[in-house]
Amino acid sequence: MTEWLPVYLERLVDFTPRLLESLWETGIMLFFAMIAAVLLGLPVGTLLYMTADGRPMANRLANRILNVLVNAIRSFPFLLLVIAMQPFIRQVYGRATGDPIAASFPMVVIAIALYARFVEQSLMEVPKGITETAQSMGATNRQLVFKFLYVEARSSLVIGFTTAVISFVSYSTIMGVVGGGGIGDFAIRFGYQRFETDIMYTAIVLIILLVELFQWLGLKLARKLDKR
Amino acid sequence: MIELRDITKTFSSRQENLLALNAVDLSIDTGEAFGVIGESGAGKSTLLRMVNMLERPDSGTVKVDQTDLTTLSKKELRQEQKQIGMVFQQFNLLNNLTVADNVKLPLTLHDYADPLTLDDVLAFVGLSDKKHSYPQELSGGQKQRVGIARALITRPKLLLCDEPTSALDQNTTEEVVAVLKKAHQEFKMTIVVVTHELPVVKSLCNRAALMEAGEIRQIVKINRSSSEKTIKPYLDRAREVLADD
Ligand SMILES: Nc1ncnc2c1ncn2[C@@H]1O[C@H](COP(=O)(O)OP(=O)(O)O)[C@@H](O)[C@H]1O
Ligand SMILES: [Mg+2]
Repeated sequence: MTEWLPVYLERLVDFTPRLLESLWETGIMLFFAMIAAVLLGLPVGTLLYMTADGRPMANRLANRILNVLVNAIRSFPFLLLVIAMQPFIRQVYGRATGDPIAASFPMVVIAIALYARFVEQSLMEVPKGITETAQSMGATNRQLVFKFLYVEARSSLVIGFTTAVISFVSYSTIMGVVGGGGIGDFAIRFGYQRFETDIMYTAIVLIILLVELFQWLGLKLARKLDKR
Repeated sequence: MIELRDITKTFSSRQENLLALNAVDLSIDTGEAFGVIGESGAGKSTLLRMVNMLERPDSGTVKVDQTDLTTLSKKELRQEQKQIGMVFQQFNLLNNLTVADNVKLPLTLHDYADPLTLDDVLAFVGLSDKKHSYPQELSGGQKQRVGIARALITRPKLLLCDEPTSALDQNTTEEVVAVLKKAHQEFKMTIVVVTHELPVVKSLCNRAALMEAGEIRQIVKINRSSSEKTIKPYLDRAREVLADD
């Protein structure tokens, strides 16, 4: 009954360096996706909100363009997006395969679109009276966004970010198709292609733990920020 | 101080065009406490929101201290809005900020030459002990006093109040009316109060406009001597109403 355990542990030790390497690759992809979500997804989502009808920067054309772009990216099957971006990645980065940084390009694109939508939704939850109050005080649009909307939406922005990052983990698992590596690719290679089932489940458990960790951190931070 | 001339405002939706203000003229003097009374939907809020350009008229002019706000650039308008305080029915406090940070918020948006200090204004509205509380921990009346403190800290030349007591019970109404009255006496700013609650206007204002269907029907001078009884404490009122025969 217990004799499988030492066998498993020994195999685990053998596989650990490659497991760690693939975790590192996942980390790289998530890192670029998270940076993009904050630096670009947040402003794009804010513009989506601010340019809609009846809002302070109402602009039909700009709003329509942003909406079409975000929807197009989000409805694109991710695998196709990865493949469709290959020529572009090769152009700007020199190589499109075999490297987690090259694989981060499609991650960045989906991260911006995904988080922008979450940001827009978070801002829509802020009562309209808050915007009116800012305007009655003679606030600029920049002040409205930073001193009013982000303040009131902050815990919801964090929850949205958490949900987005968990999706990024899921998206990152298919980057093996372009040699991007990562923990998902590891699980597929060893479990599906080489029938090292125990190693595959180990990798899957690691992915689940990673997701749990993000969820826990996100909720904790959101609760701390929420004074409503 | 305030000159509204021939203000018309229509809200159009898919089904209909709604005439919210119909050729309204109104003059309010500097230092006045002016009431706007009328039933729900009469156009009171729309009228008030013209004065700080939260709403733009379709036609007509809105002058505050001789400046026509309808002709200003956005930047110039913000400089005018900076001197006009506003108090809202739903308080509109930022729930993620402490009382102190809520009250100081306007000071972070513009430079003010001579604002009140946080401690003074909190003492004025009787909330010195709530400085570090969050709005969530306050009663309705306390929240509205924070809203008033936030408006007062800039020493506005004009204070606009849209149904300031309508989300409160009668007792807290009295508390908030008392603070507004004291603010008017102490800081001498012009106050415009929109409400459907007659006792509030009676105890606070010198004159009032009666509105109906987007028009001002009449402007009445308020007889102060007969209004000295103001609003009574809840139990006194309950006794009066219940024991009345
Ligand atoms: N933003 C708006 N869009 C459409 N209709 C509005 C808007 N604001 C006010 N109205 C309409 O204009 C009329 C006057 O509204 P309001 O000034 O809020 O009345 P009051 O404050 O006296 O209750 C109402 O019929 C109201 O439904
Ligand atoms: Mg109203």
